[in-house]
Amino acid sequence: MPREAEISVNEREFIQQALRENTRLDGRAFDTFRPLELTFGDEYGVADVKLGKTRVIARISVEVTAPLPERKFDGVFQIVTEFSPMASPAFEVGRPTDAEVILARILEKAIRRSNALDTESLCIIAGLKVFHLRADVHIIDHDGGLIDASCIAVMAALQHFRRPDVIVEGEKATVLSVREREPIPLSILHTPLCVTFSYYEEGEIFLVDANLAEEQVRQGEIIITMNRHGEVCQIAKYGGATVDALSLLNCNNVALEKVKDMSKFIQERLEADAKRRDAGGLMAELSAENDR
Amino acid sequence: MPLDTSTYSLALLRLDGRRWNELRRLHAQISTQAAADGSSYLEMGNTKVLCTVSGPHEGKAGGAGGGPRSTQAKIEVEISFAGFSGVERKKRQAKDKRTSEMSHTLTQSLAALLLTHLYPHSTITIHLSILSQDGSLLAACINAATLALIDAGIPMTDYLCACTTAAPPTSAETEAGGDPLLDLNGQEEQELPFLTVATVGKGHAVSVLIMESRVRMEKVEGMLAVGVEGCKRVREILDKVVKEHGKRFA
Repeated sequence: MPREAEISVNEREFIQQALRENTRLDGRAFDTFRPLELTFGDEYGVADVKLGKTRVIARISVEVTAPLPERKFDGVFQIVTEFSPMASPAFEVGRPTDAEVILARILEKAIRRSNALDTESLCIIAGLKVFHLRADVHIIDHDGGLIDASCIAVMAALQHFRRPDVIVEGEKATVLSVREREPIPLSILHTPLCVTFSYYEEGEIFLVDANLAEEQVRQGEIIITMNRHGEVCQIAKYGGATVDALSLLNCNNVALEKVKDMSKFIQERLEADAKRRDAGGLMAELSAENDR
Repeated sequence: MPLDTSTYSLALLRLDGRRWNELRRLHAQISTQAAADGSSYLEMGNTKVLCTVSGPHEGKAGGAGGGPRSTQAKIEVEISFAGFSGVERKKRQAKDKRTSEMSHTLTQSLAALLLTHLYPHSTITIHLSILSQDGSLLAACINAATLALIDAGIPMTDYLCACTTAAPPTSAETEAGGDPLLDLNGQEEQELPFLTVATVGKGHAVSVLIMESRVRMEKVEGMLAVGVEGCKRVREILDKVVKEHGKRFA
């Protein structure tokens, strides 16, 4: 099994020493994210997130299937994550590592279980036909902060995605193509976003958005998922060194601030993309004139 | 449980007649399996868990393949569910994500708790069998593992104790709602947003904190405070079990 190259003793010592002197290797403050970039593809529902050197692409696709027998009125929503060897030599296809299982579980809890997407709106005919929405998360480059980046990518892609319209006549449903009818945005109930805190020095130092080297040195992590309304969707601290209960609560406050900033950023990017796509209203689109 | 529970809500009692900060009956035994190096049996209400520990022994990978962790003991956690443990008799998949998340949590929290550097090139295997599920499953597993590791005589810094707390149901008249609930049963877990918290020792040192449902940020503080208090009480009970067991050798 390939393994992530272990960080050297000297490097480890250096990072820890620097943290004790209130410095991070890349000069960021302890509670700042790396520069975040978000671009959308030409198709609806493709979001490309760059967080420093980490890069994640999320893609939403949809098909029509029969609903699960116990959930007749709900569409199906699935998040699929796969770590490809392209991102890091430590990743292997078909053998999920612990990190991969945790990423999948966190996204599941943060986005699916917190009902960020209204699955009832994906129902076409109750008990017979529903939309099956699939979010594929591709890790393109790994330099730490995979969970945060993946969560941003999935939420941005969901907000960007448009599903085709349907006409229902009795038992018959017709899916209309993009040319026939303007596709419809999904109904998103709230936007949960993850903030990962890495801690050092027995819970004395907390870092937001650690990069890969900092992740390898840390004593433990706390992943907090929130939306900008101040609702905590998920908290996960899987063991590691202990942390005082009060600093955990403090993390909540920092997370809220970060989530508000990120939500605003995603919103801005979505608006910019919408403006780019808007060719100047219906009249411009229907006009026969061209540049010739 | 009495048949008439209609007055419970008036007296602010819960479905099973407990007050908000009351634990369920916590019964535990250690050294239940003679064949294992350490073992325990723990009941938190109707949640029943059997835990066996074997090791530290030479692992499958041996010394050579131990990799970066070969200076410390490796901890392996296996969790198995009895077919009759839940409400429905369902064949569980060998490796579902929820179970691997649970074993990951146990591995990570115990790695920090145990003095693993004393056993290089070795493996400690913990096997948990869930006999009955009725809420607070992860908490019961953590408590059972702590007892079994004590029985196995593996050095650790302190007790790792866990319990669950839920946000109070919001009623119409009080915006803030009542008190958080301690130690949930299966029914309450279905209804209310809850968190599992595990602490090391008597203080506020939180080792595990897992919450899976949506809740207002302000409520987390109260839930955490009640959870940490609950862990202290669990610690007293576990401590009593260990000392009771020790008397036999006196």
